[in-house]
This record gives sequence, structure tokens and C-alpha cells, in this order.
Amino acid sequence: MKINTLKEIIQKKENKNEFAIITNLKTGESEIYETGKNLGKDLEKYSDQIKNFYNSKKNGIIEGTEIFVETYVRPIKVIVVGAVHIAQYLVDFAKSLNFEISIIDPRGYFASAERFPDLNIINKWPDEAFKEIETNSKTALIALTHDPKIDDPALQHALNKKFYYIGALGSKKTHTNRCERLKEAGFTDEQINSIHGPIGIKLGGKSAPEIALSIIAQLVSVTYSK
Amino acid sequence: MKNSFDEKILEEANDWIKTNQKVVLATVIQTWGSSPRQVGSRMIVNEKGDFSGSVSGGCVESAVVRECIGIIKDNKAFKKIEFKVSNESAWEVGLACGGEIAVYLEQLN
Repeated sequence: MKINTLKEIIQKKENKNEFAIITNLKTGESEIYETGKNLGKDLEKYSDQIKNFYNSKKNGIIEGTEIFVETYVRPIKVIVVGAVHIAQYLVDFAKSLNFEISIIDPRGYFASAERFPDLNIINKWPDEAFKEIETNSKTALIALTHDPKIDDPALQHALNKKFYYIGALGSKKTHTNRCERLKEAGFTDEQINSIHGPIGIKLGGKSAPEIALSIIAQLVSVTYSK
Repeated sequence: MKNSFDEKILEEANDWIKTNQKVVLATVIQTWGSSPRQVGSRMIVNEKGDFSGSVSGGCVESAVVRECIGIIKDNKAFKKIEFKVSNESAWEVGLACGGEIAVYLEQLN
């Protein structure tokens, strides 16, 4: 691989682009492919096969060829509501995983750049904040304030937009009350039951990093099951 | 859902190059049976044999390092190597897990 290709790959990863590295194992040539891009001379004749393989988002050798494809997908968007202590550990874990975290918290003393350096922090109420973030069924929500004023509007947005993972922190009692409020707001049982509450898998730990670990473990598990 | 959990090996390769090290990139391109690392797993090796990342669960890394040093010495551009099941009674390099892997080595230049 040429160093220029390597540099271009790193740049594309930083920009969160979707692309693939295509390597001709016979010649050692490699290049970057993106939707709409024409392939170079060396790979041109495999163009259709490469496009099909790329669209399947797989990694591997295209059958019957010596072409190796590695696809890079956009990081999964995770919205954390509540710039609380647990969120600080969540951000740490997410760094080594392919999650792109944004934090929403209208409380300025929580959502400060000092507490969350180099992170997208939106210091607004969820209704306003969601106008700034594009969300869809490939987005995840982690609600951590257990304050209905802040969590509920975010949960409603996530349910309406069919987020693939929705988790809400709080005791069983807090969660039961939350479910009742969502029911009153017109959400179906099926929608409400899709919320992971109390959030996280059972690890037994009660400290902030342990809770963060149980949440991130659940998020990874749900990501691969969808 | 597909998620490319990223181990930042390419970024590290770039850092090594910036300090004038010769770097070989090793990538798992094919697996058969139960292999420890998935296709696309990466490792980098420099001319001294320092390495980062992995292509197996520690089973074949030493052999990969040797091959990579060889590539740098012979100034070869690339090479494909395969590892099969090891014979447990012999001190040979192989995959105790019973899997097979193909690893592609390429110099970054």
C-alpha cells in the first residue's frame, strides 16, 4: 500500500466517510472506493463485483477473484441525555468502539467542555437539541438524567424516530412511572416495551464506571442483534 | 447491524512511518473454521520486529513478525501466507483452535 493511500484512508476515517479499501492480491495495488467513484485501470474489470460486494458492507475476498475488500461504515450515532458522572465513563468506553457520542443536557454546569473535552455537547433542552442532530432507525439513545422533564421528550423523539436502541436509567419504580407517562402520551405497549429500562445488562456493580460498562455492553449486544 | 470496531492500527502505522520506520501491514484476508480474529484484523511490524495489533489470538504472531522482517530485508512489496492447524505435540507455529487463516503482508511505501 502506498503511504498516500494510507493517509487518505486515515483522513476518510476522521471525516466519518463510508468507503472501502480494495486490494488486488495479485499485483499488490490498492485503492479507495466510494459510491460513485470510478475504479483505476488495475481494478476496472472487476467493477460490478466490487460494487456489489461493497454494497453488502462485508469484508473479504470476492469469490472467484483475487480482490480483497474491506468496507468502513459510518460510526453509529449515540445520543446521551444527561452529562452526568456515568456519561463521562461511557465516553471513555466509546472511544475504543465505533460509536459517535453526542451529549444533550440543558444544565450548563453539567454539560461543560471541561467535563467532556473534544465532544459534541448540546447545551439545550432535548426538543431544541434534536433539531441539530439528524437521527434515524440507526441511532441509539441513552437517557441518564432520570428527570422526566429532560428524559421524557428525548424518549418520545427516539420512539417516534424508531431508534434501534433506547435505554433509560432509573429504578424499576422510576421506570414503571415513566412507562405510565409514555402510555398517557399515546405510545403503544410495544413501543414502550422496546425501551431498555432499567438500563444495562446485570453485572451487579453499582459504581459509575460499572454502570457505564453494563450500558455499553448492552448497546454492543443490541447493535449486533439488529 | 454492521459496526467496524476500529483498532486504529492504520493510524499507528502512519505514526511509525513519520518516525522513519519501515512498516509492513499484515491483514487477515480469509479464515476457515474457528479462527480467533475476523477478516480485516490487522497488525503492523517494523524492521526491528516491534509489532502492534493482532491477526490471531497470539498463535501465529511470532511467525508473522519473522515473515515481515524478511519482506523488509528482501525489499518485497507483498506476500500471502497461510497458517493451518498446529500439531499439539510439535513446537511449531499454528492455530491451536483448529482454524486456518490467510494473512496478506504488504510494505507501506
